[in-house]
Amino acid sequence: MEYAAVQVNGKSLEVPVGSLLSGILPRGSAETPCGGHGSCGKCRVTAHGMLSGPSPEELVHLTPRELAAGVRLACCTRIKGACTVTVGNAGQSNIQMDEDMPGFEMNPDFTRYGAAVDVGTTTLAACLYRADGLRVAQAGGPNPQQKWGADVISRVGSALKGEGRALALSVREGIGELLHRMAYEAEIEPGWIDRVVITGNTAMLYLLTETDPECLAHAPFTAERLFGEELSAAILGLPCATVYLSRCVSAFVGGDMTTALLYSGMCNGTGTRMLADIGTNGETALWHGGRLLCCSTAAGPAFEGAGLSMGMSGKTGAVDHVHLKDDSIFFHVLGDGAPIGICGSGVVDALACLLKLDKLDESGFLENDPAMIAPPVSLTQKDIRMVQLAKSAVSAGIRTLMHREGIICREVEELAVAGGFGSYLNVQNAGRIGLLPMELIPKVRVLGNAALGGASMILLNRDMRVRSESLAAQAETVDLSVDDHFMEAYTEGMLF
Amino acid sequence: MSILIDISENLQKGRAKAVKQLVQQAIDEGIPAGQILDEGLLSGMSVIGEKFKNNEVFVPEVLVAARAMNMGAQLLKPLLAEEGVKSAGRVCIGTVKGDLHDIGKNLVKMMMEGKGLEVIDLGTDVAPETFVETAKNENCQIICCSALLTTTMGVMEEVVQKAVEAGIRDKVKIMVGGAPVTESFAKKIGADKYTPDAASAADCAVELCRV
Repeated sequence: MEYAAVQVNGKSLEVPVGSLLSGILPRGSAETPCGGHGSCGKCRVTAHGMLSGPSPEELVHLTPRELAAGVRLACCTRIKGACTVTVGNAGQSNIQMDEDMPGFEMNPDFTRYGAAVDVGTTTLAACLYRADGLRVAQAGGPNPQQKWGADVISRVGSALKGEGRALALSVREGIGELLHRMAYEAEIEPGWIDRVVITGNTAMLYLLTETDPECLAHAPFTAERLFGEELSAAILGLPCATVYLSRCVSAFVGGDMTTALLYSGMCNGTGTRMLADIGTNGETALWHGGRLLCCSTAAGPAFEGAGLSMGMSGKTGAVDHVHLKDDSIFFHVLGDGAPIGICGSGVVDALACLLKLDKLDESGFLENDPAMIAPPVSLTQKDIRMVQLAKSAVSAGIRTLMHREGIICREVEELAVAGGFGSYLNVQNAGRIGLLPMELIPKVRVLGNAALGGASMILLNRDMRVRSESLAAQAETVDLSVDDHFMEAYTEGMLF
Repeated sequence: MSILIDISENLQKGRAKAVKQLVQQAIDEGIPAGQILDEGLLSGMSVIGEKFKNNEVFVPEVLVAARAMNMGAQLLKPLLAEEGVKSAGRVCIGTVKGDLHDIGKNLVKMMMEGKGLEVIDLGTDVAPETFVETAKNENCQIICCSALLTTTMGVMEEVVQKAVEAGIRDKVKIMVGGAPVTESFAKKIGADKYTPDAASAADCAVELCRV
């Protein structure tokens, strides 16, 4: 048998000539939910070298531009000789988890097991690690505080009305449940978890620790407590020894941004790089000339599937991808069953398709309301309006930071995109609908849940804690509510 | 008159320059300023308002239409004064203290101007006293409060109280709005009117000024 030298993410392998890329990649790095039939287009990798030509399936799923850039479907591409392959972070579960950590030394801050937890406004996500750095379990679920409202501010309002204890207990219980689930999966005692690193936006950490959120409730919005603190786990009622809460930048830019920045590595060295973390609160950062600017926009939960008439989070039954073939809409459903709703990545694709079909005009007017996407799943005119507000908030945040520093898209070397959709996001479509500036699309690197990834780094290397705290201390927050350029970019960005 | 229809149609498309030119042309043709305002600018803006209410157009269209309206209205302003045309009413508007959101408030302002009301914009983070003093000093018939945060909407109640304390509560109507605000909240705090969107707010303000 003939063998070929293949580099996967910089690691050398010898594999039989004729192998499919999907067969040689590390488990979980390129998802093939369609079973490797080339029908879902999700096992995207970047590959160069001696490879089979693009298959008909790849021609459907990949744009000429993507193909030219070396993007391939792992399940369709065969190795013919020496080649290099780069795989991104793919989530194996429905809620995006980190996969590959950026290279760093293992120097964990715990002796037996440690967990990283991301407390999102809409979802909780967690990973469990062994002291040698191996990830042994992961878990995710909705943030149980949602019954006090989908947005941060209504929960802050409830806390101020005396519900603070109940809010704190509910999210602690949610975190505790994730820890227990992961311990069960890893077949260990929950008590063996020595340390938990928790990240989340400023308000989430306030509510978790039952800190009085009065200062977050109204202008001028100054956070009195920025965390970056060690706590005894007993205070939070968690089955572990110590807890570290990541440091926040300001009232609007939370500890989740700090850990996402750490994970992205964008502030290592000089250069001009950006990070957009797309969640209920869209947080954006720009690293330029050694300066770190951050901002936060209220994107709303549309891209997390909440708030839309048939929106849902990325779980079984959610339409997660939509594409066109001969002017007909084709879709993919998570779990491959019947569609019951649509999640963020599906919404992005669906809008791009409706625009292409001229069923949605430049102003966001829907020709026929509602527009059927994957019967019975449809998008209404009201849904579209909500997405317009959300996507425009994200892109206007990006543009405003660039405007502040006086730079143009051409100068940006990279736009790292983090958040719930992670690798599910079709980046081209994100550009098409104006969620991300089109000029930056070729520079996008998709990170998945970067906030959780950064929390894991703090857990696994004790030096990272100091590094993350200095990033947070260095970051400057741009207040968008009083920024004229933001308002202009925001209203303009609502169009398609 | 076809030129007034042209003004209305160009305004709906947000063509500010064309609106300005057409308004000047109409003035030159000797059409009374009040008629240009009513049948040209305001009629165009009311179409936009109606479409906005029905979700047919969105924030950007309202903004460009309002910009076009303002271009035309500026030309008419001195003439309207000369003709003695009175505004449909006078309103002061602002986002309440602690809250910096102003898109909704700005939309309401534009829609109200589109109905021929005179609007004094107090901006964002406006103290209850400022609302009341402005209403008193400027003879406003309506105080219009906006809040986007559940944590700041309580300030609206203070506005109502301050109006009572200042002894102007029987002379001024208080309207409230914003994402977390509801009809029952408006009732609870003793406001006169809640409206769910900018176009309804403008319609309602015109009604309130009439009585």
